[in-house]
Amino acid sequence: MNSHKVISLRNLTPSTYIIRLEKKDFTFKTGQYITLGFSGSIDRREYSIYSAEQDPYIEVLIKEVEDGLLSKKLKKCKPGDELDIDGAFGHFSLKTDEIKNKKFMFISTGTGISPIHSFIHTHPEMDYTLLHGIRHKEEAYEKESYDSNRYVLCTSGENTGDFNGRVTEYLLKNPVSPDTICYLCGNCHMIYEAYDILEKQGIKLGPIHTEVYF
Amino acid sequence: MKTIAFKTLGCRLNQYETDALASKFQNNAYKLVNFDEEADVYVINSCTVTHQSDHKSRNFINQANKRNKDSVLVVTGCMANNAKEELENKDEINYVLENDNKSALYSLVEAHFNGEVKHPSQLNNDLFAYGSTEKGFHTRSMIKIQDGCDNFCTFCIIPSVRGRAKSRPFEAILDNVRSVITNGAKEVVITGVNIGRYEYENYKFDDLIEAILNLDGDFRLRISSLEPDGFGDKFLGLLSHPKMTPHLHLCLQSGSDEVLLRMRRMYTIKTFKNTVEKVRVIRPDFNFTTDIIIGFPGESETDFTDSCDMIQNMEFGHVHTFKYSIRKGTRAERMADQIPEKLKTERSEVLRGIAEESKLKYRSQFVGKTQRVLVENINGNVAKGYGEHYIPVQFEAENIKTNTFYDILVTDINNEKDVVLIGKPA
Ligand SMILES: Cc1cc2nc3c(=O)[nH]c(=O)nc-3n(C[C@H](O)[C@H](O)[C@H](O)COP(=O)(O)OP(=O)(O)OC[C@H]3O[C@@H](n4cnc5c(N)ncnc54)[C@H](O)[C@@H]3O)c2cc1C
Repeated sequence: MNSHKVISLRNLTPSTYIIRLEKKDFTFKTGQYITLGFSGSIDRREYSIYSAEQDPYIEVLIKEVEDGLLSKKLKKCKPGDELDIDGAFGHFSLKTDEIKNKKFMFISTGTGISPIHSFIHTHPEMDYTLLHGIRHKEEAYEKESYDSNRYVLCTSGENTGDFNGRVTEYLLKNPVSPDTICYLCGNCHMIYEAYDILEKQGIKLGPIHTEVYF
Repeated sequence: MKTIAFKTLGCRLNQYETDALASKFQNNAYKLVNFDEEADVYVINSCTVTHQSDHKSRNFINQANKRNKDSVLVVTGCMANNAKEELENKDEINYVLENDNKSALYSLVEAHFNGEVKHPSQLNNDLFAYGSTEKGFHTRSMIKIQDGCDNFCTFCIIPSVRGRAKSRPFEAILDNVRSVITNGAKEVVITGVNIGRYEYENYKFDDLIEAILNLDGDFRLRISSLEPDGFGDKFLGLLSHPKMTPHLHLCLQSGSDEVLLRMRRMYTIKTFKNTVEKVRVIRPDFNFTTDIIIGFPGESETDFTDSCDMIQNMEFGHVHTFKYSIRKGTRAERMADQIPEKLKTERSEVLRGIAEESKLKYRSQFVGKTQRVLVENINGNVAKGYGEHYIPVQFEAENIKTNTFYDILVTDINNEKDVVLIGKPA
């Protein structure tokens, strides 16, 4: 475990924020996560890495959870605070031989967009479509950082996105071609349902292509 | 001559480590005695995977202390990592030795008797510095190939007590296997925490297994517990090698995909079934055994029924059932919908019943067939051991020797305590 200084914290919505930490000699594979906690504290939580492999800092995108312990405390971080990082962990990663010559479909809900952001910014040349499922449009975290032709915002709480409804409804209406490599990240229900839909559409999904947050 | 007694809880890896430690002490003029006898040194190699394992470890600590108050009492294993402070505060325990330093147990005890008090942190922390296991408790020779796990299943405490995955150097493993075979081992068992993730330089798990199978000698290879994620066709091909035993313990944990997702397991029911089917096409009587967790947070009646169905459909040779118990610091601890203990117990009874039926059905197919039994225990003319499928076999014959293969024709099945095959020399 290593201690890293907080460089900055930027709020994206009243409940969602990005913590930028110094990188030191930390290395990771895009898609992996770290566990984060205050130096010396036993309370630690997993967070996907939001930044790209080549960025000179580490960023995580966090949403404050109602009655949550750490997501609330981390929001109060100040530049200069020390956080302990352990990792990087996880097998949610791209295959080197597929990055340049395959088509990708990234399906995410809420903060599940975080590792996808890292994928896309680490390999901007990738041929991808990104589905982001949220309730309200303000949760379209840093929407402008994706190619608008490749980004499909699915809003289920209001008709303000590119598609009005859940990502699973979008997938049912817009079948994915079977030669697409799919990655799913977010809540368990979405992943479970989307997995089923994609399988029926003929997609072969490796299990390492899912990352369940809760 | 000083006496030493061991008590081992939990996994094969702990058993291997105890075997190696017990051999080391005996090679250095200690006498191994049973745990229920008086000894100069008691070692409890603990487990912390469930509440029950913690409870058992505490019991053994009390027993050892009662038996000889002046003994040196060492607690090591996963509970030593997980409940270090609690254990260090117990006056009756002389040393709490974390997993990292476990291989240095002998030097710690020797230092103690020489009047030096070594702090465990001063000890060697090589995870693979265990010697041979020939004077251990098992006829089978266990070989440790890796330690630790990076999977972080949401219910599991292992990554925090065994640490990150580390693989033992490829050549060191082959040397170890060659040496145990030269010393007469007939069955080599591969152990570790998550052995399928073995990776050393360019060698993956299947490369290692292939290299071991290609070693000379009259031995057979057993793979202990394997995670059902990520093994490919090369590994499946190796399962038909004549030295490979037709048995795998593949940890299923639940028959419901939704529960598997919440457990953060890295396979689906479909991939699990595919694996089993692929293997059984080649070898229909292949023995799959498994673990099931009952009452994981949010487990619905349907999820539970899915687990029961999987056990029936997969015809497991043995199912190890665990009632889910909260482990501090794991993700599942913080999940909503914890299942009441009473319901867990009820489900557990139902599932055990199905598992027992499945075991009897699976094992019954061996009546009338021959098993190559490696004899482990002899009582008069009655010998016990395991056949290649890892099913216990009992037979009667004269002049039987342990650690020897016998071809046994299975004539009957005894279902009194465990489901044991009964046979006679073929
Ligand atoms: C591999 C992995 C990567 C993750 N990456 C991210 C990430 O990039 N960004 C991020 O914000 N979170 C991420 N999470 C979730 C994160 O680890 C925490 O669970 C989350 O921040 C809540 O922690 P807490 O201490 O505030 O809540 P806790 O005190 O742990 O939980 C309070 C209550 O909220 C529930 N709960 C926990 N998490 C959520 C959630 N996400 N939504 C709704 N209810 C929840 C719990 O079941 C509990 O009832 C990730 C989880 C995993 C497993």
